[in-house]
Amino acid sequence: MKSFKFILLLLLSSHSFSNSILLKGGIVHSGTGEQAKLQDILIDGDVITNIGNSLIIDANTKVIELNGSPVTPGLISPMSNIGIVEINALDITRDDEPEILKAGFSIYGAFNPHSTGIPWNRSNGLTGSITSPSASSFPLFGLASYFVLDGNLNIKGKKDIAMFGRIGSSSGSRAETLSILESLLELGIQSTNMPLEEVLEMRMADQLELQAQDIAALARLVTSNLPLVLETNRAVDILQALELKKKYDLNLVLSSVEEAPFVIDQLKESNTPVIIDPMDNIPNSFDELGSSLELGKILDQAGIKVMFSTQRSHNYHLMRQGSGNAVAYGMSYESAIRGMTKTVAEIFNLDRRGSIEAGNYADIVVWDSDPLEPSSFPKLVLIEGREQDLSSRSSRLTERYTNKEDKPSSYKH
Amino acid sequence: MKNIAILSASLLLISSCSNEFEFDFSFGGSEPYDSNFKDAFESTYKPMESRPILFKSANIYDGIGGELLNYDLLIVDGKIKEIGQVISRSDVEVIDASNKWVTPGIIDIHSHMGVYSAPGVRTSSDGNEATAPVTAEVWAEHSVWTQDPQFALALKGGVTTFHVLPGSANLFGGRGTTFKNISQNTIQAMKFPNAPHSLKMACGENPKRVYGNRMQSPSTRMGNMAGYRSAWIDAADYKEGMSEKNPDQRPKRNLAMDTLMGVLDGEILIQNHCYRAEEMAMMIEMSKEFGYKITTFHHAVEAYKVADLLADEGICAAMWADWWGFKHEAYDMVQANIAIIDQARDGNGCAIVHSDDAVGIQHLNQEAAKAMAAGNRAGFNISKAHAMRWITSNPAKAAGILDQTGSIEIGKNADIVLWTGNPFSVYSRAQKVFIDGALAFDINNTKIQPVTDFDLGIINPTTTRVQ
Repeated sequence: MKSFKFILLLLLSSHSFSNSILLKGGIVHSGTGEQAKLQDILIDGDVITNIGNSLIIDANTKVIELNGSPVTPGLISPMSNIGIVEINALDITRDDEPEILKAGFSIYGAFNPHSTGIPWNRSNGLTGSITSPSASSFPLFGLASYFVLDGNLNIKGKKDIAMFGRIGSSSGSRAETLSILESLLELGIQSTNMPLEEVLEMRMADQLELQAQDIAALARLVTSNLPLVLETNRAVDILQALELKKKYDLNLVLSSVEEAPFVIDQLKESNTPVIIDPMDNIPNSFDELGSSLELGKILDQAGIKVMFSTQRSHNYHLMRQGSGNAVAYGMSYESAIRGMTKTVAEIFNLDRRGSIEAGNYADIVVWDSDPLEPSSFPKLVLIEGREQDLSSRSSRLTERYTNKEDKPSSYKH
Repeated sequence: MKNIAILSASLLLISSCSNEFEFDFSFGGSEPYDSNFKDAFESTYKPMESRPILFKSANIYDGIGGELLNYDLLIVDGKIKEIGQVISRSDVEVIDASNKWVTPGIIDIHSHMGVYSAPGVRTSSDGNEATAPVTAEVWAEHSVWTQDPQFALALKGGVTTFHVLPGSANLFGGRGTTFKNISQNTIQAMKFPNAPHSLKMACGENPKRVYGNRMQSPSTRMGNMAGYRSAWIDAADYKEGMSEKNPDQRPKRNLAMDTLMGVLDGEILIQNHCYRAEEMAMMIEMSKEFGYKITTFHHAVEAYKVADLLADEGICAAMWADWWGFKHEAYDMVQANIAIIDQARDGNGCAIVHSDDAVGIQHLNQEAAKAMAAGNRAGFNISKAHAMRWITSNPAKAAGILDQTGSIEIGKNADIVLWTGNPFSVYSRAQKVFIDGALAFDINNTKIQPVTDFDLGIINPTTTRVQ
């Protein structure tokens, strides 16, 4: 038996090794921001090897005719709870908030590849997610990680790739939040040339009950290029965040930024990318009175790199509808596609992801129609060159209740 | 006020000539008790000024399943006057609608605008009287803030009519009211005339969580059921008491019981927040036990599991296109939910796309597009013209105003949206919105874009908040 198993393993692995696919004749939105073109994409194993027309292929290459269907890179959510929250109103199913740790809280160990949100979002075109801790009362919530949404228990991704936090209205004063944030950054600097024990004993660290993990994460913020994603909305808060960026040479990303149009020049000058929910035009708080549907357009036209989030839990793929609305209100189409793909990979240093370019992982989605129309849907999803099953709990329930399940009638509802 | 006036006049009569009780009796002193007090807080809405308008060469979804390509549409005196292939009138304003689309005004059957106004701060949190599980006595309209900036945003999304409900913390949350989406500074001036009140009921997790956390009933789903049934027993008792011919023999007026009695009398419509299939079935059973009708199940994430039952009972389901996962009872979402309800019993189901959300209400056309596409992927064959019902005539039916609005038919209110393109596309926007024939929003004219008091000078004294 042993040798038989061994041979089978060899066969399987050699099969997947010589697995080459030609996606023939799709309208390819590469994710780079360039105009879409009618092209073929050649995939060998997990990698895109060539893009062009009349590509030469060998006899073993599987050809998939796309007949002009739109093709995009697999979409990547720049901030989600995918894999760490099953049901929001059920604390026991949530792993997005720490009890003791603060800036050093990493969600990586909580990621559940079997979470139902993974197949659901994957079947809607998401192939990757930056899964982040949820907002807490502390100005820094912790560390986000990148995950490949193939549902494999052998988790593929990148641990602790960005810190998330927030400046704005709070139960206390935002001035205090800013001051604490600055003190935390100072602690990070000091920790690089002081024994950990001494750092932990410093007044601020002690008062805030910081742990070794928190200090290590703070040090990364000020010494490495770890992206810091700060949620801010009020125009003057955005300026405060930009001051911090300058002072501490932070790799700053701003999210929400509903009042960005008032400080568009400074934002552009500082070369700070942003994550926005283009559909949120509600002045939900006194920090976001300037909220409007034209935010995407204004940022895009200023040349600021834009990524997309969505208010809706569990449906992170809906950033597609959001970006479609941004385009309806004046953002450029290819910037919108880029914002869901290459921009995310670029800002968060996801190597070889986010665009349809030779040498990148073959994370690709083929759509039945315009991917920015909410009514469109993926026909084919590839993650690292592998065709993904597009079923989900939702599709299984649909089959059951539209009588497509192969079961005796007494088991049908 | 009329009924009270009659009542007090007859009381006066009774006291002054009690020996003539018989006479008084026949004279109308035994007016049947009107639990609905129709004149209390009645609408003072007046349509804005309008001129006759002829839409030329429009593509029309009429909201009841019809698609009319390249048709003319005439509106006069706030009503839809004529629909035809060629209408020639020289004395009216003409709008060239070629390559554009015309639909009925969008209607949302589930909104909390005004009761959960923006900004969403503590002082504007007026949607849930979460102080007791039965608060049938409260009316959502009494919480509405007329300067909520969300109304104007919804108008830009083509919404001409919306139904404001209390929240779902309680078993009986209180009365809901239908509004016209116009800028006014009294609530009564926004109220949709001759629209029935609704009563919000809530199943499942919310009431049992809110009151269970306080160690009071209900803390379970069975507690929920006992709570509703006890209230209906009280209501039946009250109704019987009020049927006394002699007003002196009637019980003291009770606001909560007035509302429940109004439901039993068929004058107040039940809008029932309910996610799970078996709970919807139980609510239907209970409505039969006490003799009332459920108009609509709201949210209804599992409606598809009992689609035939809802169609057989003539109950609508108002749903989201794809929300799920935020609660356990919202875990079994299918995107084909709306289509499955629609297609139940050979297409006799009543499906509605609702928002429950100030962002969602601005894009109900996109939500309908998603639901239609999902239904067609699940094997149905649903046209855009048909899906338009989900955000126009079906919510009008659920709000009890289908005789007045919700479709483009001769004689109906001219509540109309002119879209820049096909309304099922994300790239299309409402270009002009008409309410009772009057231009309420124009994408190209900032003068015809409502600005609330809230919006004025709040960021910069010389500007308005959004424009």
